[in-house]
Amino acid sequence: MDSEKIKIGLETMLLLRAFDDRVGEARDDGLVPGLPHLSTGHEAVAACLADILTPGLDKVTGSHRSHALALALGVPAKALMAEIMGREDGTGCGMGGTQHIYSTGTTFLASNGIVGAQVPIAAGAALSAKTLGSGGIAVAVLGDGAINQGSVLETMNLAAVLRLPILFMVENNGVAQASATTKMTAGIGAVARARALSIPAESVDGCDYVALHALAAKMIAYIRLQNSPALIETSVSRMGGHYHGDKQTYGASGSMRDPITNIMGHLKSALPDEAEDLYAAYRKSASDRIEEAYQFALSSSKANAGTLNEISRKANL
Amino acid sequence: MSRNITYAEALGAALRQAMQEDPSVILLGEDIVGGQGLSGSGHLGGAFGVTKGLGGTFGLARVIDTPISESAFTGMALGASMTGLRPVVEIMFNDFVTVCFDPIVNQIAKTRFLSGAKIKTPLVIRTTMGAGDSSGAMHSQSLAHLCASIPGLKVVMPSTPDDAASMLLAAIQSDDPVIFFEHKGLYGVGGNIPNVIKPSPLNKAKVLRGGSDMTIVASGRMVGLAEQAAGAVESDGISCEVIDLRSIAPLDSETIALSVEKTGHLIIVDEGAARFGVASEIAAQVQRRAFGALRSPVQMIASSDTPVPYAPNAEAAYLPSEEKIIHSIKTVRD
Repeated sequence: MDSEKIKIGLETMLLLRAFDDRVGEARDDGLVPGLPHLSTGHEAVAACLADILTPGLDKVTGSHRSHALALALGVPAKALMAEIMGREDGTGCGMGGTQHIYSTGTTFLASNGIVGAQVPIAAGAALSAKTLGSGGIAVAVLGDGAINQGSVLETMNLAAVLRLPILFMVENNGVAQASATTKMTAGIGAVARARALSIPAESVDGCDYVALHALAAKMIAYIRLQNSPALIETSVSRMGGHYHGDKQTYGASGSMRDPITNIMGHLKSALPDEAEDLYAAYRKSASDRIEEAYQFALSSSKANAGTLNEISRKANL
Repeated sequence: MSRNITYAEALGAALRQAMQEDPSVILLGEDIVGGQGLSGSGHLGGAFGVTKGLGGTFGLARVIDTPISESAFTGMALGASMTGLRPVVEIMFNDFVTVCFDPIVNQIAKTRFLSGAKIKTPLVIRTTMGAGDSSGAMHSQSLAHLCASIPGLKVVMPSTPDDAASMLLAAIQSDDPVIFFEHKGLYGVGGNIPNVIKPSPLNKAKVLRGGSDMTIVASGRMVGLAEQAAGAVESDGISCEVIDLRSIAPLDSETIALSVEKTGHLIIVDEGAARFGVASEIAAQVQRRAFGALRSPVQMIASSDTPVPYAPNAEAAYLPSEEKIIHSIKTVRD
């Protein structure tokens, strides 16, 4: 990967990290009403998809752990932060919150509070792309816990028989809430299950932006060309527990490799003299942007009974 | 100009017109083209033939046979509705909504609200309901009340071919999710529908028969029973007003309350469960709107609080009937 691409990846990942770090602080300060599930350690997946997918044309759905994904794929940081903080200027005017981020006009479509439920919704975006001939594809980002949900397995079969242009991106962080994935999953996992349905599938280190990017680009090109599904299983670190503040008394959680450390290694190899300065500059810029989003959210009105009435009316409830 | 066709054909005609008028309308469901991959397949048009011929006219990209995976294809329909299509999903029997209740309850019902009303979800779930043919406990229920209790879902139940066609067209044109209940026992009923179907409101009940002594509210196949009972007691000098509910959610309690203010008595006939059901909700709403007008306790005739039994005599005992309605009418009169 050329150094320009690595720089883009690092810059994006630092922005995503700064965002969820700020969400965690806001939660500690009592300004996030719900329990946020942070993406810390998952940033390479979101950053790769952001670099490879075509904005607006392709559509991505994510799990309850989707702050980074939404931000990377075009949801404005201000609206995202405001939603997580329950404010009127949020993506859902404060009605959705941290686990229910919806977007129009960006590559990000929706996140979900039900494990795996985002997967058939992504299949619907793939069906639209195929039926309307837009040339777009869909990506369902799901966790390792979701691969034991019936709707996910059903959707993999459905996507194969209907030949839908969809990538199943499985982020395997080794823990399904508080249970070890290996204990809860029979057989050898998502890749083998996809291959059993004749869906091309590969696994890759999701802490290695460069390796993940190469595989994702290959699979996405395949999906566009063949108009049929593929699957990637990528190992990531759940660096902040299941939710922010999770004491992890259940004894998680294996390796805590940081994808940002990894991509810095790539950058240092490519640009040994500039890497540290670039890192510092990107961090500063990310921190400034996120602080601006946070201040915006803080100044936005708290959603209230009036908001509830207004959204209920607009949604024809 | 009109045509005399069956309820099932009226639904097919509405689907055909909607698909001709709007290329974003697609159909999804099991065997709706007509089975796949077997010799002679392709002409079934679903278990009840409603979509017969549509696959041939509009092609397999718009009329899509799915695997038996209700959860996946119902969730897929939502995603499609969020991204430019207007899917019409067929769930073969309403008993199967339970296997796709996450997409229906958590996803389809909530997306518009959770997006701050910025995302539209124009999708229709057509499903069959109702007992009377010994299909047994898992192919005969009437589960409209389950769906009607979820904010974000519109639930309709037409009782005539004309309403079936005009309400289905309206449901497809709506930007809100609509669950469309079709009683299996009505599919063969004939009626006139216009050659060019016009959409009709999804939130209005209809007074089918004027009367002064009491009000009978019914929906789906129960409407016919209510009309028969009203006709049967006419010779006894009892004048019943019969209201076809048409829409379960939203509930047109205004039309019902206006009638009750005139008649003072209310009988509700519903094929769903008696407990926590549609009839209970109507009773609650009417007592709020027209408490002063009620001169007797509201009568509720619903199915037994049991699973639907298989044996014909037991099934008949389980269901509301003309006799049960007449009995209630006389109870109210006396």
